[in-house]
Amino acid sequence: MNENLFASFAAPSMMGLPIVVLIVMFPSILFPTPSRLINNRLISIQQWLIQLTSKQLLAIHNQKGRTWALMLMSLILFIGSTNLLGLLPHSFTPTTQLSMNLGMAIPLWAGTVITGFRYKTKASLAHFLPQGTPLPLIPMLVVIETISLFIQPMALAVRLTANITAGHLLIHLIGGATLALINISATTAFITFIILILLTILEFAVALIQAYVFTLLVSLYLHDNT
Amino acid sequence: MLRRMVLSAAAAAAPCLRNAALLGPGALQATRIFHTGQPSLAPVPPLPEYGGKVRLGLIPEEFFQFLYPKTGVTGPYVLGTGLILYSLSKEIYVITAETFSAISTIGLLIYVVKKYGASIGEFADKLSEQKIAQLEEVKQASIQQIQDAIDTEKSQQALVQKRHYLFDVQRNNIAMALELTYRERLHRVYREVKNRLDYHISVQNMMRRKEQEHMINWVEKHVVQSISAQQEKETIAKCIADLKLLAKKAQSQPVL
Repeated sequence: MNENLFASFAAPSMMGLPIVVLIVMFPSILFPTPSRLINNRLISIQQWLIQLTSKQLLAIHNQKGRTWALMLMSLILFIGSTNLLGLLPHSFTPTTQLSMNLGMAIPLWAGTVITGFRYKTKASLAHFLPQGTPLPLIPMLVVIETISLFIQPMALAVRLTANITAGHLLIHLIGGATLALINISATTAFITFIILILLTILEFAVALIQAYVFTLLVSLYLHDNT
Repeated sequence: MLRRMVLSAAAAAAPCLRNAALLGPGALQATRIFHTGQPSLAPVPPLPEYGGKVRLGLIPEEFFQFLYPKTGVTGPYVLGTGLILYSLSKEIYVITAETFSAISTIGLLIYVVKKYGASIGEFADKLSEQKIAQLEEVKQASIQQIQDAIDTEKSQQALVQKRHYLFDVQRNNIAMALELTYRERLHRVYREVKNRLDYHISVQNMMRRKEQEHMINWVEKHVVQSISAQQEKETIAKCIADLKLLAKKAQSQPVL
């Protein structure tokens, strides 16, 4: 089905209709709402996981930062589930698209910065100059800090895109290598297959870690600014 | 007004409705009944606790039962194998790089589910059990509290029954104290009276003694007074003469 490497990253459309919207909305079906006091196993585990993660993520924030709880939790759940679902064969991962990651990163980062400037203007501006810099270096350092501030959303988006895309690409390539080596020498093909398995394990981990890192960084930017 | 007319007509027609008429203008609203229908529109059966049985994790058991009368036990397996081989040979399913990644991913998933599935299920059950245990504990604590209150109340009531012993003892104490005080006072009265009487007796004795002494003194005084000087001289001369006589008698007689 997929002859070239780009095919799996193209925005899926069925008969000209963009179904990428449906694909982006799909993971929300997998998180059922707890409806009773004692639920089934899936909902119990989901509740426990969300409780664990939210406690861990929101521990560093004050009252103002904790108003972002819903946002951060939905972020980590969305990115995690989308990444994990993308590891299934013949599936499309929305987070490989830079457009979508920019669409997540820029508003969130801008929100934290604007919150900081609105409520603690002096403290936010003070972030541009680290403590204890010698006097002649100040102008250059302010410029550097400004650049580093504006690079934050780009870094967030590109980090996620690059990691997931690179992972998918590697799996595809090594799978192709295994396929090509089967006719040449079976043992090499087997070794390559083992590498593929290890890579898959890595990809599972990367999927979750990237979600965590994204959310953690947004949370950190929030912490600086509240 | 029209409502009241209707009510009175209805009351005339059926005596049981007369009470409704007596309620006044709000009666029609008060007799409306709510929530008599079913809570949901469909007769929903209760949810089963466990899912249906599946073979190979995907195909329900009913399919195997469906094919069993015609093709026996191996029927569905042969069918599956045939379909897979057909799709592979006709290249309906193409083997690409994706195939190997699919094998690796699905293989990994199956391994993880087989190995850790049961323990994760137990963990989920344990979470639910903890929640139920917590609530149960609250309920039990509440029941225990009320039970303790009941027991305390019962023991208090039992104590109240035994209170009369305490009162008897107190009553006895008080009676003894009263008796003691009475006797003490009696004794004191006796002593006081005796004191007074002793005083009078000693006064009497003293008077008598004084009178006696006075009398003796008076008698002595008069006797001494009555002895005149002449008598005194004669008496003394007589005494001297008697003494002299006696001395002579004594001298003359030999010492015995």
